[in-house]
Amino acid sequence: MTELLIRNACVIDPLNDICGEVMDIAVRDGKIVESVGSGAEVIDAGGSLTMPGGIDSHTHICGTKVNFGRYMSPEDMRAGRTARRGHMHSTSGYSVPTTYGTSYRYSAMGYTTALEGAMAPLEARHTHEEFTHTPLQDMMANTLFDGNWPIMQAIHDGDIRRAAAIVGWTLSAVKGFAIKLTNPGGTEAWGWGKDVASIRDPVPHFEVTPAEIIRAMIEANEMLNLPHSVHLHCNCLGKPGNHQCTLETFDLVPNANNKRQSLYATHVQFHSYGGSSWRDICSRSEEICRAINSKPQIVIDMGQVMFGKTTTMTADGPMEFNLYRLYHNKWSNHDVELETGSGIIPVYYSRKNLVNSIMWSIGLELALLTDNPWQCILSTDNPNGAPFVKYPEIMALLMSKRYRNEIFGTVHPDTEHNVPLAAIDRELTWNDIAIMTRGAPAKALGIEDLGKGHLGEGADADIAIYPININETDPATSAEEVIRAFGQTDYTIKRGRVVCRQGTCMVDGKNTTIWVDPHISENYSMDHDPEFAKNFDRYYTVRMSNYPVQEEYIRRNLCIETEAQL
Amino acid sequence: MKVTLEVKPRQKPYLPIEAEGIVPRTFFEGTDSLTVFRGNKELPLEEIFNVAIEGEAESVDEVEIIILGDSSRIKRVGEYMDGGRIHITGDIGMHCGNFMSAGEIVIDGNADAWLGREMRGGRIRCHGSAGDYCAAGYRGEKRGMRGGTVEVFGDAGDFTAETLAGGSVIIHGNAGDLSGVDMKEGELTIMGDTSRACANMSGGMAYVHGTVNDMIPTFRKIGQEKVNGEPYTRFSGDIANRGKGTLFIRNYKYLD
Repeated sequence: MTELLIRNACVIDPLNDICGEVMDIAVRDGKIVESVGSGAEVIDAGGSLTMPGGIDSHTHICGTKVNFGRYMSPEDMRAGRTARRGHMHSTSGYSVPTTYGTSYRYSAMGYTTALEGAMAPLEARHTHEEFTHTPLQDMMANTLFDGNWPIMQAIHDGDIRRAAAIVGWTLSAVKGFAIKLTNPGGTEAWGWGKDVASIRDPVPHFEVTPAEIIRAMIEANEMLNLPHSVHLHCNCLGKPGNHQCTLETFDLVPNANNKRQSLYATHVQFHSYGGSSWRDICSRSEEICRAINSKPQIVIDMGQVMFGKTTTMTADGPMEFNLYRLYHNKWSNHDVELETGSGIIPVYYSRKNLVNSIMWSIGLELALLTDNPWQCILSTDNPNGAPFVKYPEIMALLMSKRYRNEIFGTVHPDTEHNVPLAAIDRELTWNDIAIMTRGAPAKALGIEDLGKGHLGEGADADIAIYPININETDPATSAEEVIRAFGQTDYTIKRGRVVCRQGTCMVDGKNTTIWVDPHISENYSMDHDPEFAKNFDRYYTVRMSNYPVQEEYIRRNLCIETEAQL
Repeated sequence: MKVTLEVKPRQKPYLPIEAEGIVPRTFFEGTDSLTVFRGNKELPLEEIFNVAIEGEAESVDEVEIIILGDSSRIKRVGEYMDGGRIHITGDIGMHCGNFMSAGEIVIDGNADAWLGREMRGGRIRCHGSAGDYCAAGYRGEKRGMRGGTVEVFGDAGDFTAETLAGGSVIIHGNAGDLSGVDMKEGELTIMGDTSRACANMSGGMAYVHGTVNDMIPTFRKIGQEKVNGEPYTRFSGDIANRGKGTLFIRNYKYLD
């Protein structure tokens, strides 16, 4: 039995409605408890801001695509090099660091849980292996279903129960966590040299539209009783005028679940552009946010762009090809058999560039114009908008109008004619930031009942203590303080152990992989479905029996078993 | 100030030594504890070299380092050098003059790979031959050498002046394969032969006074022009990369 007592913690815990209350937190055996004995180890927080461990609900840090980003950008590995020290491995890389680099840097910022944004089911093993080597964060994997042949066939046949059964079989086979749709239908169309231009554009051969895929998958998701909703990267990413497509997509979403959202729309910044070309691109964040404000069934994350060097990587193959034609830099595209694809391109977001400046502005506008912070989660779609180490700067931008104006003064001078940012006076509070980085992601992912994202009794003792006193610091006037404090915790505590102390990781760590296993009735089990097996053997390069990820790939894990209505 | 570093005879002379501390500025600013690395072992400079320092210096430019003995496995000499002079009497190991911004390095023997990598300014003269990636960029980096001069009196290896983005590179002998590949700016002169010169070049200027073998077909032939009274063929390209580079070639052969 190990016990820990954190004294004088100034706690913000949005899921338990605690905002700035100075209190003690008792921990026994990795869980938060009512009280501990006198022999407990004591940490005196001294009135510092204390929050549940951060949760990144959309980031790309593990898997084949991330690794290819490392592989094709040796120059990225020249940045961020640190030597081996104590329990810490040597690290390198800036936008696509080594797994340990990622883990240590997240931990130094107080993050204890992360969701890998896109895992191709066929390449799940690699993702799980990298999870094992990201030791200080509990991990989950969004599983890609955007161009899955048997599912598109089932949707074409109007058999959504079958589509749900295939999703359920795949999720438990690859130890995935949720349904991810990346440019649904678009990557498959790109396999035919095309893309889908709107959600009503049919995918070649399968003759289903993105709208049909999205609607069917939302329904399938609820049939399987999955903890998270459908996680959608809308069609037409990064195209001027794509806000229409985004709004039409939002209109498709029913209110299908009263516990959480029915659709999680990711990196909406990349989907909120007006205009018709790169010359007249402008922000349409106001219309997007109006839609979000009127639809509680939708939760978004920002996908904030920050200036500097980074690497874009997504399963959206055609989009990356378009980017390649724009930048004419090195580029890679992959096709993943009958599932999905991917593309990777290094980019530099410049404040001298009007389009980049508008992108920077739109991300902030989304967070500021969404009335309910529970509906807008802080993210950069790491590393697509910026590496996650920029989060503290984003928090400061959201909390301080003055700091925002200061940075706004350095971007392209024409930006102000194309975006509403300068007219927005809202400044987010400490509580808003806690919601956007803890409460909201936990709730959106459906893991708050597992004890994530809050500090109530029975919760996992994942705690971040930041070196800042919120009663003495006015975030509106002291942006540097905010950036410094959120950049490095005094203590990051994971499962009741101090894992990171002022940026130095104290333990080797061992994380948990969270995955789902929907129980499906025999009638719908794909294990005994002759047509599924026949097509599997016909089209895949692997045998169906070799496809599921073996238990040894996931060490410590937590399986969420759900009862599917099938 | 004259610093003489004589490499002591070593039991295993092929083991490379990383000696990025050997730059005029370290000696100008004074050093008691300069170290070098052999593998993961940090050693005092004196364990590898006999060190003799004579005279004083008012500025870094008055510092001259002379390296004697078998220095063919001493790496990263002159890294980030910003003034003064280094004279190497024998051969030198890899990465000599990395990121150098001013001053001069003279090598009497041969240089190993990556001579003057990502150099910003100053001058390197190599009287022997240079290895691969002479005056080049580093893996994955888009812009390599950005300024200064590299002159090699012998031959140079493959990928000479790769991603050249400024400054000038002169090879008096032959250059290996893919010289000037991905060149962006600056000037490359090869007195001898090379092959597949300037593939994927987007800008800058290159002269080959010998023969280019396996000439890249995606260069547009502009016509015959005289250079110093001799007939040369002028090319523009690489059009595969929307390039606007210029290539003057004495003789060339396309791949059969």
